[in-house]
Amino acid sequence: MSLRSLLRKEAYWSRRNALGLLLVLCLLPGLFAGSSLLFQDVIPRDTPVAVVPQDETVTEEELLSVQFGLAFFADPVAVDSRETALGQLEREAVYAVVEVPHGLDQAGRDVTFRLYVDGSMVPFKEPSQTIAVIMADQLDARLDADVDVERVIVGNSHDLSGYLVPIALLGVVVLFALTYVPYNLSRERRVLDRVRLESSLEALVGAKLLFFTALVLVPIGVFHAAISLLGYDISAVAPGTVLAVLLTFVTLAALGMAIMVLTRFGSLGRFLNVLVLVVVVAFSGLAYPVGYFSALRRTIVRAMPTHYATILVRSSMLRELPMGAFADWFAGLGLVALGALVILKLSVVYHRRST
Amino acid sequence: MPRLALDGVTKRYGDVVALEDVSIEVATSGFQCLLGPNGTGKTTLLRLLLGLERPTAGAIDREGVTVGSGFQRPCFYPSLSVRENLDVFAHVRDVDDGDWRERLVERLHLRPVLDRRAGDLSGGFARKLDLALALQHRPDVALLDEPLGALDDVASERVLAFLRDYADGGNAVLVSTHRIASFEPHFDRLVVLHDGSVIYDGERGDREPAAASIQEWYVDLVLDSGESPR
Repeated sequence: MSLRSLLRKEAYWSRRNALGLLLVLCLLPGLFAGSSLLFQDVIPRDTPVAVVPQDETVTEEELLSVQFGLAFFADPVAVDSRETALGQLEREAVYAVVEVPHGLDQAGRDVTFRLYVDGSMVPFKEPSQTIAVIMADQLDARLDADVDVERVIVGNSHDLSGYLVPIALLGVVVLFALTYVPYNLSRERRVLDRVRLESSLEALVGAKLLFFTALVLVPIGVFHAAISLLGYDISAVAPGTVLAVLLTFVTLAALGMAIMVLTRFGSLGRFLNVLVLVVVVAFSGLAYPVGYFSALRRTIVRAMPTHYATILVRSSMLRELPMGAFADWFAGLGLVALGALVILKLSVVYHRRST
Repeated sequence: MPRLALDGVTKRYGDVVALEDVSIEVATSGFQCLLGPNGTGKTTLLRLLLGLERPTAGAIDREGVTVGSGFQRPCFYPSLSVRENLDVFAHVRDVDDGDWRERLVERLHLRPVLDRRAGDLSGGFARKLDLALALQHRPDVALLDEPLGALDDVASERVLAFLRDYADGGNAVLVSTHRIASFEPHFDRLVVLHDGSVIYDGERGDREPAAASIQEWYVDLVLDSGESPR
């Protein structure tokens, strides 16, 4: 019976592709399930918040008592000055800055806390209204003074669709680097011998990387055109955006290509690249602010270069911050890209030595 | 002095010994034939000469010789046209000899398919494109793995005549094959490989076949050599 015969063929095929099936059927679902559980609470309860004194009259005890009061729904961090705290807000190290006034222990005195929130951090901007109310209640009950909380939006204010633009741009680039580029390279397998004979594998991957990196400028342009047409006051072609996107692409495409070279351009390489894609999407804080995650996941995300690329793109597109404000991060991303290129080179050397 | 040779080369893939202590110097002129049964190490030998594989033991000398390769499976970009393939690989080698390319296209009868997608070519045309790519930069030595595979009789004769001319023009052609009949009128030197070892290496006329035909002589030679423990 042909059905039985063909089922037998599928069994033979499965035996020969056991590793790929293991990845798709076991590892990927496990990873998805694991990363979902790592989300823990969707409502931010331990979001990092900077606590700063309004002026030098604010005492250490007052700061400590406020931190204690905020610990109920946030993860307060004491910061020396408002400027430093606002810098951390720009870098998404904290999601709000609480400015503490003096006189908290004076009964009946009206004190106003300021809660600074970034206008482009949309997932936190709306909840911050609720947080301001909770904060006022909590601190009022805990302190002798009569507490009021004033919410201050810092920087450009955006809506959710605007917030999603940089995420979508990076998503497209990550997808391109870890699916299309490896697929394209795997198609070279048929002509690899001639390319190695007439030229070199280094030249092949180098040419491909250069070509596709240049191609990435196309989606950047398309994004810019689309958001301009839709009337958003966002630029996708700011130098900071372009540089961060290109460095991210070079890093991921070089890693994706190294995986393909090491797996001899086979389907295992493509599976591994999908796995890397899942890890990058799940653990880069692409869509969801990292401050909403559990402490463990936050640590993982903050170890991912793509997390910093996401913030750089968001800062450049939504906050319109100059590149110079993030020179250290750009240098870091550049070093990571360089590291990925070294890995790619080593994979080619390994390929040559192992044939 | 230009030299293309394997010196005491052994190639193993895990436990499988593909070549065992093989020494062979490819002449830099003339038509040479590397003959042997299927799976005897011919392709491995060519790939070692091309530098596409590294020997497990022994040395490869490719001093001052340019090589071109026709592969067992035709090797080109399937998504590009025939013309684009020729163009890409000409630029890779920095070869800009339009007259020679025209001659290749003419002699290999590629003109009717120049603008066809290479992946859509029939087996015969694919083989001819692969040959054209091998010879496009006029290598000193053309190493061709089963160059008549998938070719019909007419195309085979055309290709053989062209390869003979190429060898007579001061270059060398080394073909690998498991069928000697087609090459018999052309070769100047014959090397027989069996079970990863060279069992015969001689010029035309070095040894008069005792058998009625060279095919019979070759079959007897292989059968008499028995099977080595590989």
